[in-house]
Amino acid sequence: MRLGVLLLLAAVWLALSGPYTLHGWLIFAFGVVSVAFVWRLYLALERAAGGGFEFFRASAWLRLPRFLVAFALKVAAANLHVTKLILSPKIELHPRLRRVPASQKTSFGQVLYANFITLTPGTITLDLRDDELLVYALDAESEADVMDGSMDRDVLRIEGDSN
Amino acid sequence: MNGALDIATAVLLVAGGLFCVVGGVGLHRFSDFYQRTHAASVTDTAGAGLMLLGLMLQGGLSMVTVKLVLVLAFLLFSSPAIAHALVKAAHGHGLALELEIEDERGGDGDAAG
Repeated sequence: MRLGVLLLLAAVWLALSGPYTLHGWLIFAFGVVSVAFVWRLYLALERAAGGGFEFFRASAWLRLPRFLVAFALKVAAANLHVTKLILSPKIELHPRLRRVPASQKTSFGQVLYANFITLTPGTITLDLRDDELLVYALDAESEADVMDGSMDRDVLRIEGDSN
Repeated sequence: MNGALDIATAVLLVAGGLFCVVGGVGLHRFSDFYQRTHAASVTDTAGAGLMLLGLMLQGGLSMVTVKLVLVLAFLLFSSPAIAHALVKAAHGHGLALELEIEDERGGDGDAAG
């Protein structure tokens, strides 16, 4: 898993600024140093978070496309809804603050869920505490996106049977 | 250049631009800080996403497209983190939320101000 992270970082760096120039090998040396630096940062981050970065497992990557499709559809629908709210002649909002359970096992899964909610226009995560999210929503329709638990299930599915 | 591809790119760029404008309009029309963050997220997701998608079509299967995908990926991580940080800071410092419905214990952050 850690080797996977290292390889991923190296691949990203190579893709962005590989040794394609005249001074290729000097640049390549810089790349090795910066990848090593970022990898150290990652390890420190992993320690601080108490583990739970299982997303680099091959099985999670296989589930990623389906998650991205579900994610894109949700965000697109929410964008249309909020656009409708913004452009309606009379702004009519019914803001609400709800507590939503985050049933993911890992902290990374919960953060992914919280970010999913925040990215979806119309809902935003205010806080994450004791496996519960504090979600602020613009109106009943936006709120329903979160309250029906479908996004929670999407994230659960990609989290899979980790550990 | 492929004609159909150019048209698709144009449609995506214009659509993305429209969503950016919508986000800006919402920023003005919504009435408080928390509502405005929702309008801004339209710009962040639909606006930026459609524009990047349109540019990817022009990039084709090349390094340019790989970089555009990475830009989108980083955007999808950074923009919710920033939105959350802003809203949590406002909430933690006691900026009042106008609410119609609130779960019990829901507003305990208000007391912290």
